[in-house]
Amino acid sequence: MSTQAMKNSKITKWLFDHVIYVFLILLVIGIVIASPDFLSVTNLINILSQSSSRIIIALGIAGILITAGTDLSAGRMVGLAAVVSASLLQAGDYAYKMYPNLPELPFFVPIIIAMVVTGLFGILNGVIVSKFHVPPFIATLGMMISVYGITSIYFDRPPYGAQPIGGLSESFTKFAQRGIPIGDYEIPFLIFYAIIFSVIIWVIWNKTQLGKNMYAIGGNPEAAKVSGVNVAKNIIIIYMIAGLLYGFSGTIEAGRVGSATNNTGNMYELDAIAACVVGGVSLSGGIGTVPGVITGVLIFQIINYGLAFLGVSPYIQFIVKGAIIIVAVAFDMRKHAKKK
Amino acid sequence: MFKKKKGFILSLTVASSILLAAGCSSSTGGSDSGKNKGGDKLPAVGATIYKFDDNFMSYVRRAMEAASEGKINLMLNDSQNDQAKQIEQVDTLIAKGAKSLAINLVDPKAAQTIIDKAKAKDIPVIFFNKEPDSSVLQGYEKAYYVGTTSSESGVIQGEMIAKAWEANIEKYDKNGDGKIQYVLLKGEPGHPDAEARTTFAVNTIKEKGIEVEELAMDTAMWDATKATEKMDAWIAKFNEQIEFVIANNDGMALGAIASLEKAGYFSGDKFMPVVGVDAIPEALDMIEKSKMFGTVLNDATNQGKATIDLATNAANGKDVLEGTDWTLDDSRAVRVPYVEVTIDNIQVGKDAYK
Repeated sequence: MSTQAMKNSKITKWLFDHVIYVFLILLVIGIVIASPDFLSVTNLINILSQSSSRIIIALGIAGILITAGTDLSAGRMVGLAAVVSASLLQAGDYAYKMYPNLPELPFFVPIIIAMVVTGLFGILNGVIVSKFHVPPFIATLGMMISVYGITSIYFDRPPYGAQPIGGLSESFTKFAQRGIPIGDYEIPFLIFYAIIFSVIIWVIWNKTQLGKNMYAIGGNPEAAKVSGVNVAKNIIIIYMIAGLLYGFSGTIEAGRVGSATNNTGNMYELDAIAACVVGGVSLSGGIGTVPGVITGVLIFQIINYGLAFLGVSPYIQFIVKGAIIIVAVAFDMRKHAKKK
Repeated sequence: MFKKKKGFILSLTVASSILLAAGCSSSTGGSDSGKNKGGDKLPAVGATIYKFDDNFMSYVRRAMEAASEGKINLMLNDSQNDQAKQIEQVDTLIAKGAKSLAINLVDPKAAQTIIDKAKAKDIPVIFFNKEPDSSVLQGYEKAYYVGTTSSESGVIQGEMIAKAWEANIEKYDKNGDGKIQYVLLKGEPGHPDAEARTTFAVNTIKEKGIEVEELAMDTAMWDATKATEKMDAWIAKFNEQIEFVIANNDGMALGAIASLEKAGYFSGDKFMPVVGVDAIPEALDMIEKSKMFGTVLNDATNQGKATIDLATNAANGKDVLEGTDWTLDDSRAVRVPYVEVTIDNIQVGKDAYK
C-alpha cells in the first residue's frame, strides 16, 4: 500500500469509529444549508432544553441496556411520576385540587416522593429480571402495562375524576420552565439538571465498582459471576437508579408542560432506546458511554427540532427517524463484527 | 477497503435523505411556500393540531389550509397527542418568527404554559377546538378562543331525539312503556364536550316531557373500535330492551352501527335509532342509508375558517374581528354554531365538506 492509501484508510477508520459525531455534523450542515437562520442562540437553547429530560431518561435506560437488559416501562414511569408530583404540587389557590386540603409543599418534597415511587418500581423490575429470570423485555413490558393501570387509578379519582392535573404552584413551574438570564437570553434550569445527572451517572459508570460490574455483567454475565460479582444485586441497583431518573424526569415533564395526565410520558422509552442505540450503546450489552448517550439524544432532538423548523411534513420526519435508527444499528453491528 | 466504502455509502445515503427531506420542506405543510410570491412576504402564523390523524380535526386542518391560501404563511404542526411535544413545537414556531399562534391544545390545562411563552414575546394566541379555562384566557389580553358552546351540541342532540321519538313512537317504543330505554357512548371522561353532551342531551329529552331510562353508559374514548366492543356487550346483555343509542360523537356512533349490523339490525324490520355528533362524511353516508337517524354538525369548515380569520388579523396587528362576521362573547371566544342534520337536510352536512 502506498503512503497515500494508508493515510486514507486511517482517515476512514477514524471516521468509522466516530461515525456518530460525523453524522451529527453532517446533519447540522444539511439543515443549515436548507435554512441558514437555523443557526441561532434561541434554537440552540430550545434544542438543549428539549433534550434535557430526554437525556435523563436515556441515561437510566442506557445503564440497563449495558447490562444487556431493556426497559419498556420507562415512559409509563415518567407518567406516574408526573401525575404523582403534579397532584402534590398544585397551587394553594387553584380551584380543582386533587387534595383540596393539602398545603402548598416545598417543591422538592413531591419530587422526592415521585422519585421514591418510581425507584421502588425500578427495584421491582430488577428483582423480576434478576431473581425470577424473566427476560427484561417481558418483565418491563408487563410493568409498562401495570404502571399505566396504577397511574390511571391514581389519576381518575374524586373529587374531579379524570381531569388533567393543572394549576401547578409557581415555585415549581419556575423550577422547570425558567432559567438563568444571560444577556438577552435565558439558559433554562433544565439544561443544568441534565448536566448534573450526566456527571453523576458518568461517575457511577466510570469510577465505582457498580459501574465496573455493570459493564462486566453486560459483557459476559458468566464471567462476572465467576469472578465474584453479585449479579442480582447489581442489576437491581441499576434498575433502581433508572427508576429514580425516570421519577425526576417525570416531575420536570409535569412542570415543563404545566400539567399532567395519565398519558404523559407515553412511548418515551422508545425514543430513549433509539437515542441510546444511535449513541453507540450496544443492545447486546457491555458497551456504552455517557457522552455517546448524550450525543444520541442530541441527534434525535436536532432532527426533531430541525425538521420541524424547516417545516418538513411530520410523516417524512417519521421516515427519516426510522432510517437513522436502522443505519445506526447497522454501523454498530459492523463495528462489533470487526472486533470479533 | 471495499467494506469501508460501503460504510461511506451508507452515511452518504442518510445525509442525502436528510437534505432531500429538507428540500421537500417548502412543498409540505405549506410552510414557506407563500414567501416572496410577487415580492411581498406573507405574515407567518404558527399552528398546532393536537393530532393529525383525528378524523374531525383533519377537516378543520383542511379548512385552515384553504382559508390561509395567499393570506398568511401557515406553519402547521402535528402534536401527535403529546402535550410536551406541542410545547416544543410552540418554541420552534416562536423561534421561526410566528406573528400569531393558532393552538389546538392536547391537554386543555396546559394553556397557561403556552400563554406564558406567547406573552413573553407579545404574540397573540388563538386557541381552537379545545377550550382553556376561562380564567387562564382572561390572563392575557391577546388570547382568544374559537370553538363551540359544548352544551349546545348536547341540547340539539336531545331535541333531535325527542322529535324523533314523538314522531315514531309506535316503532321506537318497543316495550310500549312510553319511556326511552337508551344506551350512551361517552367520549373521554373529563373532556368538557363529553361531559356537556352527555348531560345536556339527556336533560333536554327530559325537559321535553319524555321519560328516560338509562340501561348503560360507558366511555368509548371517542373511538369507533372501542364503541363496537361496548355495543357488542350491551346487545348481548340487553338486546331488544335497547330503544335508542346515543353517542357523544359520530365515530362512536359508527362503531355502534357496526356492532348493530353484526347483530342483524338494519335488515328487514330490525331497526335502531342511532344519533351522534360531528356530521362526519361517513355518518352522513349512514344517514342516507337509513342506518343512522341523525347527527349534529360540528362545523369544521367554519371553525377552521374562524381560526384563520382571527389568526390572520392578529398576525397583521389588526383587531381580530376586522373584516369578519364573527363576534366575541364575554370570555373572548368566537362560538361557531352547531346544526342538526337528519335525512331531511342532509345537504347541509354535505356542504360542510366541500
